[in-house]
Amino acid sequence: MKECCSAGQLPVIEVKNLSVTYRARGTGQPDRLAVKNLHLSVRSGEVFGFLGPNGAGKTTTMNVLLGFVNASAGDAFLFGANVRDPIARQRIGYLPELTYYYKFLTAEELLRFYAKIFGIPKAETERRMDAVLKLVDLEGVRKRAIKTYSKGMQQRVGLAQALINDPDLLILDEPTSGLDPIGRMKVREIIQRLKDEGKTVFFSSHELGEVETVCDRVAILHQGELKVEGRVSELAQQHQCNLEQLFLRVIGYTNAPNSPALPSRQNVALPSESEPAVSLLHHSSTPFLHSSK
Amino acid sequence: MRSTRLPLLILTALLVLCFGLAARLGTWFEAWDGNRAQSGDLLQTLLGDSRRIFANHFFIKADAYFHSGYYPTIFDNREAFETPHVAEDAGAAASNNQGDENGFLGKPRDWIDAFGRQFYPSIHTHLNEGGAQAHTASSGDLGDNSDVREILPWLRLSAELDPNSIRTYTVTAYWLRRRMGKVAEAEQFLREGLRENPGSDEILYELGRIFDENHHDANRARNLWELALRSWEKTESTKPDPDKYVYVHIVSSLAMLEKREGNYNRALAYMELWKKRSVEPAKVQERIDDLRRKLPSANSLTSQTQNPKSD
Amino acid sequence: MKNIFAVSGIVIKELYRRKDFYVLFILTVLICLVMASVNIFNDKSIVRYLKEICLLLVWIASLVIAITTTARQIPSERENRTLFPLLAKPLTRTQLLLGKFLGCWLACGLTLFCFYVFFGLLAGSREHQWPIINYLQAGGLHWIMLGVVIAMTLLGSLVFTAPSSNATICFVVSAGILIMGRHLNKVALHMPEPRRGILYSIYYAIPHFELFDVRDLIVHNWPPISWTVCGLATLYALAYAAVFLIAACVVFRRRALS
Repeated sequence: MKECCSAGQLPVIEVKNLSVTYRARGTGQPDRLAVKNLHLSVRSGEVFGFLGPNGAGKTTTMNVLLGFVNASAGDAFLFGANVRDPIARQRIGYLPELTYYYKFLTAEELLRFYAKIFGIPKAETERRMDAVLKLVDLEGVRKRAIKTYSKGMQQRVGLAQALINDPDLLILDEPTSGLDPIGRMKVREIIQRLKDEGKTVFFSSHELGEVETVCDRVAILHQGELKVEGRVSELAQQHQCNLEQLFLRVIGYTNAPNSPALPSRQNVALPSESEPAVSLLHHSSTPFLHSSK
Repeated sequence: MRSTRLPLLILTALLVLCFGLAARLGTWFEAWDGNRAQSGDLLQTLLGDSRRIFANHFFIKADAYFHSGYYPTIFDNREAFETPHVAEDAGAAASNNQGDENGFLGKPRDWIDAFGRQFYPSIHTHLNEGGAQAHTASSGDLGDNSDVREILPWLRLSAELDPNSIRTYTVTAYWLRRRMGKVAEAEQFLREGLRENPGSDEILYELGRIFDENHHDANRARNLWELALRSWEKTESTKPDPDKYVYVHIVSSLAMLEKREGNYNRALAYMELWKKRSVEPAKVQERIDDLRRKLPSANSLTSQTQNPKSD
Repeated sequence: MKNIFAVSGIVIKELYRRKDFYVLFILTVLICLVMASVNIFNDKSIVRYLKEICLLLVWIASLVIAITTTARQIPSERENRTLFPLLAKPLTRTQLLLGKFLGCWLACGLTLFCFYVFFGLLAGSREHQWPIINYLQAGGLHWIMLGVVIAMTLLGSLVFTAPSSNATICFVVSAGILIMGRHLNKVALHMPEPRRGILYSIYYAIPHFELFDVRDLIVHNWPPISWTVCGLATLYALAYAAVFLIAACVVFRRRALS
């Protein structure tokens, strides 16, 4: 069995030349290229925001990382292990965008079930269960069936199941979707707390304000291609605009005022390990934005 | 208030209309010839004439139970099971059976067939001869095994589904009184059959047997058999191919009864009738000759008009 | 293995928290009690018809539970999106499938146990004897057969889109094999080629569920089957179940989940 890397040595998430094509079966439609030649690297302890409009390829990329979808080309690794290997998922927690869990189970039973899959001993399971339920404020309803939960409570139980194995990497697909402001604040607090504990968080979101607040680095995807990637603060400084304006400009929606002219297309070297925030080689005809340290 | 009142009024009006229409149509429907509403029987109402198919199926099922499950399907050789054995053994129907009843399955055609025979009954048995237990190591001399009662539910159901099937009543009555000692039940069942099939010669004959063999009431037995004979002559004698099987049973029973009672002239008369339609007239003639030899000595006896009845 | 058992535990929990089993069990009990109350010529010892009706209901109920429970496992996981957080754990698709199979099979075993206990009580109340070995064999073979049905349905749930169509097809196939499986070779004999060849191929290819149907032996108090024969039948069923499960694993591994 391939040994996973210890945190800090290898990137936690590494994507190389990833392409994903959805084949159209018998519909007369052409195949759809969902992700094209994606290079991505997320280091340990980072909070990484994965942004893009609907249909950009964010969820597809996440699905490849989680093994739900096979890549058409390229590779993806989690802690140095290929994503197809189940051991790659031993140290991750995943919160899907739409949170549905076994309605006939209680929160306790659900967490015990997932803990069993992780191979967590019983005593440790009980301890962690108490901790995560307290963290997500579901202690009082832990013995109620999930079908009786509100949407916010279901989202929180989703967060609980993502944290039950004390993961080193948390993958969140739009974690604040459908939550009220209090719920969103809770999620931000949890992400911040995880960051303080040295965990890595990789999440996608449409709430750019929240992304700006919590993320260390962001990447913006559009039509399957990575358009921009870098540290939030540096991107803002370079382009003299906030993340939302940058986002809109990247996807070609609007010309935001007071922004410098877009640089012409340049070939830039592949990022190396010594450079924490680098641009990416990009063979598209659309101009790209890059930032450097 | 106004807004809820109007829909309620409309609903009430519709209900009144529906009930009125139902009442009007109901009488019209009941007056309609051949409608099932005339029957109070649930099965007849639900199934109509197709219940006869089910009735036959359950009669065959009774025969399958008689064989403890060892029974040919429609894909097997049924030559030895054309007449159900449960009816054949009861004397209720002439046997059309040929072939080997022990081997209708034949040799196994493949390994699946051979292996599969371990999982269902594959030995010929009769319930009244011990059934499946006759083949177990611990079985002793089982004699008349009362497990034959197990065929009764299917016979009962068959009669319910097709009350016009005479065979069901006579077969059931036979097994009830001969194997299970349930004479009262057999008589009651036959009377039910007679109500459904007035004047049935077979049912009358079987009733006569109850009074003759179980109640030892010769007079009533005679009356019933004579009634059966008249009924047969009325319904069957005009047919180009009358049912001789029942006729032979009736006249032979009458002949034996009269002989027992000492009414030798009448016995001889019935034997002559018997001989005419018997498949073995020579044997009947032997009986006639035997009786005639006794006749001079019997002539000295006066014929008895009454027999003591036993309760 | 622990993952497989964990998944199977969830399936068992689902079964006893749904109403399917209870409804079918109560229906079976009610029908049998009504049948038992019928007066048949004032004889209270008649029992075989009751045994047959009870066993028929048990077989129908068990097939319904097995097929409907299994048919909805993977599709409902996908539809309710519970599949994604599950496969995001260190759980392979093969483990998930095997866990579903084991869970459905064990759940059906539990329901069969309840049904056969009721059957034993019902029959014993009239027969005043309890041929435990016979009942064990009957229940065991029945359970083994359900394993093949469950594996077949699991494969169907990955091939057919809608659980309802999968359930219908599996039910028709299972009932068809139970009724006709034994006779296909006899029918084939009377057919011209190439139909004879096709029918023989089907005859040898299908899993012969009727091998596990020993109701007639139980109803009519035949002696128990030899344990060697039971063992061979079990191996036969395991082979078919393995084929269906392997096919299901191959299909599932290649299937994109979204």
